[in-house]
Amino acid sequence: MLKIWSMKQKQQQDESAATGPKKKKVTAAQLRVQKDLSELSLGSTMKTNFPNPDDILNFTLTIEPDEGMYKGGRFNFSFAINQNFPHDPPKVKCTQKIYHPNIDLEGNVCLNILREDWKPVLNLNAVIVGLQFLFLEPNASDPLNKEAAEDLKSNREGFKRNVRSAMGGGSVKGQSYERVLK
Amino acid sequence: MTGTTPPPLHGPTSKEKKYDRQLRLWAASGQAALEQSHILLINSGPGVVGVETLKNLVLPGVGHFTILDSAIVTEADLGVNFFLEEEHLGGFRAEHSCTLLKELNPDVQGSYITEPTESFLSKPIALKPYTLILVTAPINPQLLSKLSANAATFQIPTFYIHCIGFYSQFSIHLPPAFPIVDTHPDPESTSDLRLLTPWPELSQFATEKTKGLQEMSHHDHGHVPYICLLLHYLEEWKSTHDGQVPQNYKDKTAFKASVAQGERRNNPEGGEENYDEAVAAVLKSLNPTSISSAVRDVFEAPECKSLTPETSGFWIIAHAMSIFYATHAVLPLPGSLPDMKAQSADYIQLQNVYKSKARHDLAEVLSTVRTLEKKLSRAVVIDEKEVEAFCKNAAHIKMVRGRPFHIVLPGETVRWGDRAKKAAQDLTDPESLILLYIAFLAIDTFIATHDVDGLGCAAKVAGGDDWESDTEEVEGIALKIIDGLINEAGTSIDEDEYSEIKSRAREYAQELVRAGGSELHNISALTGGLVAQEVIKVVTKQYIPVDNTCVFDGVRSKSSVLRF
Amino acid sequence: MAEDAESILTNGPYNSRPRWKYLDNILNRPGPFTDPDWVCGEPALEGLSRAKILVIGAGGLGCEILKNLALSGFKDIHVIDMDTIDVSNLNRQFLFRHADVGKFKAEVAARFVEKRVKGVKITPYCGKIQDKDDDYYMQFAMIVCGLDSIEARRWINATLVGMVDENDPDSMKPLIDGGTEGFKGQARVIFPTMTSCIECQLDMHAPRAAVPLCTLATIPRQPQHCIEWAHIIAWEEERKDITLDNDDPEHITWLYQKALKRAQEFNIPGVTYSMTQGVVKNIIPAIASTNAIVAASCCNEAFKIASNTNPFLGFPGTDNYMMYTGDVSVYTYTFQHVKKADCPVCGNLAKDLQVNSNSTLQEFIESLAERPEAQLKKPTIRTEAKSLYYQSPPTLEKQTRPNLSKKLYELVSDGEEIAIQDPAFQIAFKFKLVFEN
Repeated sequence: MLKIWSMKQKQQQDESAATGPKKKKVTAAQLRVQKDLSELSLGSTMKTNFPNPDDILNFTLTIEPDEGMYKGGRFNFSFAINQNFPHDPPKVKCTQKIYHPNIDLEGNVCLNILREDWKPVLNLNAVIVGLQFLFLEPNASDPLNKEAAEDLKSNREGFKRNVRSAMGGGSVKGQSYERVLK
Repeated sequence: MTGTTPPPLHGPTSKEKKYDRQLRLWAASGQAALEQSHILLINSGPGVVGVETLKNLVLPGVGHFTILDSAIVTEADLGVNFFLEEEHLGGFRAEHSCTLLKELNPDVQGSYITEPTESFLSKPIALKPYTLILVTAPINPQLLSKLSANAATFQIPTFYIHCIGFYSQFSIHLPPAFPIVDTHPDPESTSDLRLLTPWPELSQFATEKTKGLQEMSHHDHGHVPYICLLLHYLEEWKSTHDGQVPQNYKDKTAFKASVAQGERRNNPEGGEENYDEAVAAVLKSLNPTSISSAVRDVFEAPECKSLTPETSGFWIIAHAMSIFYATHAVLPLPGSLPDMKAQSADYIQLQNVYKSKARHDLAEVLSTVRTLEKKLSRAVVIDEKEVEAFCKNAAHIKMVRGRPFHIVLPGETVRWGDRAKKAAQDLTDPESLILLYIAFLAIDTFIATHDVDGLGCAAKVAGGDDWESDTEEVEGIALKIIDGLINEAGTSIDEDEYSEIKSRAREYAQELVRAGGSELHNISALTGGLVAQEVIKVVTKQYIPVDNTCVFDGVRSKSSVLRF
Repeated sequence: MAEDAESILTNGPYNSRPRWKYLDNILNRPGPFTDPDWVCGEPALEGLSRAKILVIGAGGLGCEILKNLALSGFKDIHVIDMDTIDVSNLNRQFLFRHADVGKFKAEVAARFVEKRVKGVKITPYCGKIQDKDDDYYMQFAMIVCGLDSIEARRWINATLVGMVDENDPDSMKPLIDGGTEGFKGQARVIFPTMTSCIECQLDMHAPRAAVPLCTLATIPRQPQHCIEWAHIIAWEEERKDITLDNDDPEHITWLYQKALKRAQEFNIPGVTYSMTQGVVKNIIPAIASTNAIVAASCCNEAFKIASNTNPFLGFPGTDNYMMYTGDVSVYTYTFQHVKKADCPVCGNLAKDLQVNSNSTLQEFIESLAERPEAQLKKPTIRTEAKSLYYQSPPTLEKQTRPNLSKKLYELVSDGEEIAIQDPAFQIAFKFKLVFEN
């Protein structure tokens, strides 16, 4: 009886293999991300994290700048890539509330290649290099966080102090920030 | 939860919602023109291309259409015409197609006339109510000739349409002067910045914004509008070049390099967007303002030069415009400014410098218009908006000179007139579809000489029954037309080319006769799309219509526009 | 359908079908450009009436396509669309009436054409193309697309390329694709794996122009900048908990008023409700005439392919793409878009690879390094669902390392496709793993 049962199971499996769940093919977006990941050069200051390793279209990137005024911090960015990649750019957001002229309090990042200058020939490496650069050279002209930009423009030393205090979880100009120190 | 937002005071009306996707192209003015028009379709043959055209006019909301067709619905109609049903068999094609077309848009009025074309045309004012007339082949050439002459007296634009098998062709007869102001030029080509001839307010603005350029902070330096940068560097250039602006390509390249040198690269971005914009604009923006040949044609036109009290508003404005041009050597400033890297306030200020100059120019043209009106003692005052639209688009106005299409009368040869030379040249161009056009003329000749009962609708079609002998006849006619053309043009074509022309013409004739007067629904639908689009352009006086013949080859999926 | 074919055969070829008198002239007579081997009459007629054809999209192009195919002699038509009818569709989607607003497009369109053109069967599916698998797509002779989404086009293209089986000629489905934008449009024909595919032609679609975020945030100059600011930044700041619905008039009104207020702050003229809608929904102008032209061009090619009555676009080595512009006179450009050797979809097709399902992933990877045609020494491998092994980045390598000691049958199923990326090659390799045991 047990034998018949296992034969039955086998038969069902075979049937489901023939008609059942369709075998999906690796999508064009997956192929491209796979290629981009293999070309990623992260160095010692960056790390990726895949909450679900099978899903390579959604991951986070951690940047730990080893120089500049954001040194000592640990910054997290979420990457969300859709099936229309690389026609569409990846959607990148900072998941912490940080004090930075080019990143607003909602985590929007002002980086040209994430929007107006995105081209399908660009890859994920170009994006992470751009993000890293934002911590080395925060840019006060055309900011997303206007207060931070004014601060940087008018008093660089004061801005540095405010960055430190914001990174420590303190507040700057009445706005409290997340602690991002290692 | 935030409270719900109150509705806007001027939310879209239900009509704006329905027509949203097209209003973004031809705007409320175009829509109004479409809604005021009444289109007449004189239908014949399988009659599909005309009905498909109407479908594409009823959907966007043409005011009124009328179908003139005395044919009775047969079984064959049901296999090719989407706007007829089984229960209509034996009824009038015009009546039932009209009903089904009207269902597409309750805002459109539709009528039908089942009188034969000949008796309809016998009333001299029969065509007067219509804005535009569509005639489909086959039609008795004498009737077509009469119709064309009648329509021309009322200056009603007339389309003559062929659709046979995989091929189609239509010709447009527009009034002798058909001016278009709203041509919708490519936005890239429209910016007129006057950098080589700045007016005092613009120069002053640029000087202010570039004062102390070297000493500016990175932020300010990176936000000087590129127009101000170019004007600043032009002044520098002039001071070292005897007061001359860059004259030629070599000068411009050198000038470009001098602008690029001003760019700061030691800032956090490693460059400056406004400088990049300035450098990129040198070659295309530093050209002396000149007027296009289309504008020159308008200024030189007899209608523009000698005005009468009956002259239309367009020509009076054109005349005023030509006076402005004679005085200033430039057209009125359009006043639009492209987006550019700049602080909001600077950009808005600069935009206002352009706008106020444009208003100033408009005022000058308007005052000339008013003087002309008074001089001519015109009863109707030209709307200021019309003058404004003209000024805004002055560089891109276009005038089409309508010309009658070929009508082949029995026993007469096709005449090419002043187009003979060009047409003969086209014969040897493998990309041109002129030979297909000639094959259509051959079909018309065939019909003219095989008219069954003189009514036009029951003409004998080429390839109806004995397609092999009809093929031979149509081929022969086509070759004769080609010989006539070469003869009229007085050009010589070498032997090889001539035999190539002949064999291509034969192929087109064979393919046309193969269809035996049939319409293929796909080709009718495609041609109905093209014709409807041209009707919309003509009725709205927007965009640029076909001038004057369009040929489509559905075997190779190619088209040609020819002018006869 | 069988009945139909039979009646054609028994009634004889010429003028026996009064309803199809016009069409039959073309089917019954050879022309100067028809293939010399073409047999006119019954075979041409049968090819047409037996062909099962799929239409993707029942919108502006789809309505036209359904009408055109039904009147071209196709008898068995299927149509997929997931959308419902909106009032702004009515200026061109002529199979829908005001009373149909809110109903499924595919359903209403199918019923309408079936009723109007007797003898044609139209089977609607109201859902996504991604709901259907290879078996579903395999039943059709060809596929005609009237879509407005690049993503959907890429999906069906990749699916059809992947379906091609070298041993089965019926597995190659011609894909005919139309697209419009205002007075412009294009029609193209793809023979998957044989000619340039949608992915090869991706650069023909201009990316949507975008404005820098910082311009929106600090130095707006145009009315559109204020609208984008309201859309991207203000909404998130103030109404984070509400999902923005582009079709909700209250949401659009909120954005419009936000944008208007911001524009007033900066003295920027020109923000309107209609512009707000246009920017937020990325509205592309659409008119009946362009749809008619492009849809008819697509159906003309479908008809020629099914009936062989004339040469068609897409025959390898010939023109496969027609570009159309109608704002200045009428202009078409018909050309051959050449297949890209490094196309990620059709550049490297999946090959069958016999494997022992009891070997480990590690052993499998070692065997790849020894393959003669492509020595894959540092492969990164995945299936659609699973990351099997990633050489980099380090975290992903660590996460996928345990798979190395697993047996293949634990990781993939028989016949499943894997994609391999190796630093030595620009393009991915695809294999269908076939279990030997």
